[in-house]
Amino acid sequence: MPVVTATLALIIFASGTVAGSLGALLGLGGGVFLVPFLNLVIGFPFSVAAAISLTTVIATSSTVSAGRAGKQLINMKLGMLLEVATAAGSFLGGVTAQFVSQSVLQRLFGVVAVVVALIMLSRLRRRNVILDPAADPGILGGRYHEAESGCTVTYRVKRLPLAIAASFVAGNVSSLLGIGGGIIKVPVLNAWCGIPLRAAAATSAFMIGVTATAGATIYYGHGQLQPALAAAACLGVQLGSWGGMKFGAAASAKWLKILMAAVLFIVAAMMFTRGGR
Amino acid sequence: MKLERRIGIVLRAGVVISSACLAVGLLLDLATSAALAAWLLNAGIVVLLATPLARVVVSTVQYVNQRDWRFAALTFIVLLELVASAVAALVFNRRI
Repeated sequence: MPVVTATLALIIFASGTVAGSLGALLGLGGGVFLVPFLNLVIGFPFSVAAAISLTTVIATSSTVSAGRAGKQLINMKLGMLLEVATAAGSFLGGVTAQFVSQSVLQRLFGVVAVVVALIMLSRLRRRNVILDPAADPGILGGRYHEAESGCTVTYRVKRLPLAIAASFVAGNVSSLLGIGGGIIKVPVLNAWCGIPLRAAAATSAFMIGVTATAGATIYYGHGQLQPALAAAACLGVQLGSWGGMKFGAAASAKWLKILMAAVLFIVAAMMFTRGGR
Repeated sequence: MKLERRIGIVLRAGVVISSACLAVGLLLDLATSAALAAWLLNAGIVVLLATPLARVVVSTVQYVNQRDWRFAALTFIVLLELVASAVAALVFNRRI
């Protein structure tokens, strides 16, 4: 377990701030940047990096969802249904992670980073399928008011088994690798299950608190979570995601996505070369 | 009160309490490394981990009150899964 010095705490606080603001700008958690930084640059064991990152996922989820609750953007019923699958996946992943070697986890992270980068590049132009506002959203569908366009958006949930399967995989990957897993759920919910992107992202952000708690509790019990470093990272990520959301509208999402996809390809290459040793 | 508002209150309270414990605990830890610092840091982590759990409990209670048995059952399963991970955490803790 690393020794906590003021310099180390400051570096982790700063890296959390950068990861949190990138996450908010790109609409994903910062974990996919924080874990490789802590593991490859600072040199923490993979499980220590993943444990710290999971606590930041919980902090982000609670902060963001507290601000959004009551605005109908979060589809709570759908979220609570899919949580059954993400929490099961996360529990199994958290237990598995205690028996798997660091190099296997690094290679898995490399694969996920490539997939995330490809998804990001393929989704430069977003697509939504939205119903007539008078349509019946059903039990799991939703309806929310979109401030920018001034419209009421109504949608129904399609292909529920696919959403459940994606949630299970996302939960599993989340606690194995220390990321939120939204990057896996959100594109599936949006592209194939009929959920508008903003509702899918808000619902996913709501769910990942429960997902990451199932994983983080196991790491904490196993003594792999260093509370002081988790504190520095959580405070940094909260500052960063607040800043990212506040100033995010001005940034060009397209170029940012291309840049970050490039960063993820480099992360994947580093994970593969380190993981191969 | 509507469930969404209630959940918002639980989440906000959890974030404020855990962030305060973590911030004060971290500063104390760097300055003095007193026992109080370690206690505050661990309290901050426990509150952070308990916040999503608390909002699941609030949802289960609300769905039971509304006699929405389907969602009461679903949220209860999520609660059991979180309890299972806490049990797994204790098992791993015991083995070290």
